[in-house]
Amino acid sequence: MTSSVRPFILFIVSLLLYAAVMVPFTRHMKHKPVEEKLGYIPEASTFQYLCADQKTFISSALLMKVIMYFGGLTDKQFEKTVAAIPDYRGMSNIIHTALKLDPYNMDGYYFAQSFLTWEVKQYAIANKLLEYGMKYRTWDWYLPFFAGFNYSYFLKDYGKAAEFYKRAGELSGQELHFSLAGRYMQESGQTELAIAYLTMMAQGEKNQAVKKNYQIRLKAFKEVSRIEKARDAYRASRGQLPVTLETLIGKGLIAPAPVDPYGGTFYLEPDGKVSTTSKFAFGGRK
Amino acid sequence: MKDVLLITLKGIFRDRIFQGIMALAGLIVFIPSAASLSMRQVTELSITLSLSTISFIMLLLSVFLGATSMWKDIERRYTFSVVSLPISRTSYVFGKFFGIALFLVLTAFVLGCAAMISIKVSSMGYPPARPVEWGLIMAAIVFDAFKYILLVGVAMLLSAVSTSFFLPVFGTVSIFLVGTITQQVYDYLHTPASEKVVSAIVKNAALVLYYLLPNLQSFDLKVYAIYSIKPSLGGVLTTFCYGGIYTAVLLLASSLLFGRREMK
Amino acid sequence: MSNGVALDIQGLSKQFKGKRGLRVEALCGLTMQVPQGEVFGFLGPNGAGKSTTIKCLMGLIAPTAGSATIIGETIGSVESRMKVGFLPENPAFYDYLSAEEYLQFVGRTFRMPDDLLARRVEESLRLLELSDARKRPIRSYSKGMVQRVGLAQTMIHDPELYILDEPMSGLDPIGRALVKDIILDLKKRGKTVFFSTHITDDVEKVCDRVGVIVKGRLMALDRVETIMRSGIEGYVVQTKAGIGNHTALASFGLIRSSEVFREYSVPAGRFNEFTALVSHHALEITLIETKRKDLEAFFLEIVENVAR
Repeated sequence: MTSSVRPFILFIVSLLLYAAVMVPFTRHMKHKPVEEKLGYIPEASTFQYLCADQKTFISSALLMKVIMYFGGLTDKQFEKTVAAIPDYRGMSNIIHTALKLDPYNMDGYYFAQSFLTWEVKQYAIANKLLEYGMKYRTWDWYLPFFAGFNYSYFLKDYGKAAEFYKRAGELSGQELHFSLAGRYMQESGQTELAIAYLTMMAQGEKNQAVKKNYQIRLKAFKEVSRIEKARDAYRASRGQLPVTLETLIGKGLIAPAPVDPYGGTFYLEPDGKVSTTSKFAFGGRK
Repeated sequence: MKDVLLITLKGIFRDRIFQGIMALAGLIVFIPSAASLSMRQVTELSITLSLSTISFIMLLLSVFLGATSMWKDIERRYTFSVVSLPISRTSYVFGKFFGIALFLVLTAFVLGCAAMISIKVSSMGYPPARPVEWGLIMAAIVFDAFKYILLVGVAMLLSAVSTSFFLPVFGTVSIFLVGTITQQVYDYLHTPASEKVVSAIVKNAALVLYYLLPNLQSFDLKVYAIYSIKPSLGGVLTTFCYGGIYTAVLLLASSLLFGRREMK
Repeated sequence: MSNGVALDIQGLSKQFKGKRGLRVEALCGLTMQVPQGEVFGFLGPNGAGKSTTIKCLMGLIAPTAGSATIIGETIGSVESRMKVGFLPENPAFYDYLSAEEYLQFVGRTFRMPDDLLARRVEESLRLLELSDARKRPIRSYSKGMVQRVGLAQTMIHDPELYILDEPMSGLDPIGRALVKDIILDLKKRGKTVFFSTHITDDVEKVCDRVGVIVKGRLMALDRVETIMRSGIEGYVVQTKAGIGNHTALASFGLIRSSEVFREYSVPAGRFNEFTALVSHHALEITLIETKRKDLEAFFLEIVENVAR
């Protein structure tokens, strides 16, 4: 073997080794548990010093990372390949960091609102974040609108809700928000309120994963609304609450039979409230 | 000075660093598609990405051109032939500086136009919640350019005294990083929380540095441009004056130091 | 006022700060003048202080003591440099420019009007045989070509004084001949040339005067002609054999003799005595050759004396 051939052969061997290692490497990266992919972000108070003059960019990049992570996970849920629950705590941390870097970033508030309420039920955290955002995005009616919804639907604090809806109305000039301040402020109207909110959110949504999320929840709430209407019709004619959902189906009051898009089964609680075994979430059935 | 300026400008255009860095500018073409990933603020994201790209490119240009321009002249012994011409050392330093500064202005102009086309494309597909303030976007780019021109001044000062390439490059990068946070440190030092943690000596030392080092944060108008928020005119004008005077001080110090430098 | 003096150096000294605070004396009290129209050779071994002197004159370094003027202008000023064409040692020029662009740049720093500059660029490129390469970047030039660009940029503004630091170093014999021709041509046109070198041959051929500098001190300063004359040690004289009385010359050393001639060694001081004897004794001189030390021997002797 001459000395000029040897480095060439070594180079070919190294290329082959590279190809060989790429297969397990790519497989490893692909099948890496999803939780790991969200990664760890330092506290905003120290992190901001590293961002130099690129705070808005880094904020956007962090939010993009969370949205991509969530989108990937949602796809897997639909494909039923993974039943893993997203790392909501991690998502929330990153969004908080991102909003500290750029308190104007609408994507952060919007996305936090979409999962902090329905999925994680951290209404206080969600509202605190919204109120933080209102200090900066003073022109934006979405934030008080979200806060109003959270107060009325989840927290049942109708006084606060009316206050925020009013502010949303003032900023948007839309009659709907003023009327929301007065309407639906009672228990019976909750499902309609949620349907109105989800319809609006789903319409304005660009991100397919998030949109799909809203649409599924909207579908579930429409089913709940159908059951509630059948239940009320039953009560109106019989003077008492139906004991089971099957009674309503049997009587032909609700057809076709309601289907929970989350894969659970609807049932009636003793007080007549409509519930589902999925608890309105994928993987809700333990 | 004009002659050195033109020669410097010509040198930058024929330099490989410039060509490599400008390849980065091709990224601007992809901004509209990248920005469409946003949920609610596509136009805002496209402005963010555009301004960030421009800022980053100008940072690279100012550090590499600012720190290597004079160093290269000394290292390659061009100074013997140039400084011995009938031009003063001050004209040499100023010519170098204004050559690079003019180049940054041209870069900002070209990239700014490209970015505005990108933003326009994004905003046509997804109209923003608030109308795009083109004036603010231009102001943000102008002030960004101004900030990096000041940074070139820092690089010139360091190259005027340094014999190696490391001090100007790493010194400029460090001063850039520190310059973007001095205001935050200053604000922190004036909170009650800091009084318990920070000793008086450290606080005073930090305050000296605050007045000594450039404050680059005030040149950052990106947030205003992205979210169409009006900055205070007074603040912008003060920043403009601050930048001009700080740069002048840097340049005069550079030319004084370079004037005393021995071309051995 | 310059009063016909192109270069006036008075007590110029330069100390460098060396390692560990040691002061290195690179130049010590140099005093000399170069009148206008003279070609002056500044001769010295490597590290003698030639470049230090020239860098002080061109304002590249500041002298620690002493002063100097260039055609009446104090060194270090822009005005002083206005009057000089300077070639640095092993010069380097912005290599991304072409020779033509560089010469235009230099000309503009001398505030030359555009039309004159264009003409002078053309002439200098032709004179230094760079016309073919004028559009190529200097990066692609050979070492000799760069040196020629260096010479071209000294003459672009037609200065009165030329300061050339080692103008012939790194050139091939053809290049050296070209540089010598150029210097002689400048002399013919009444220009002053001050150049440093460590090669005596260069000085012998073109210089009017020479200064020898060793270890920062000027050791000799004289006209080349004078040195050459004072270097005459004696003569080799041939006389025709067979004519006259050769025994009268017995006190002179006989180098060789043949049937045709006899060859004597005559010390410089006894030449008149020799010729007197020749005419008195009816001898016939056929050939006189001067026997002398050349400039190199003169130079080496000085350097060796300093070393001792």
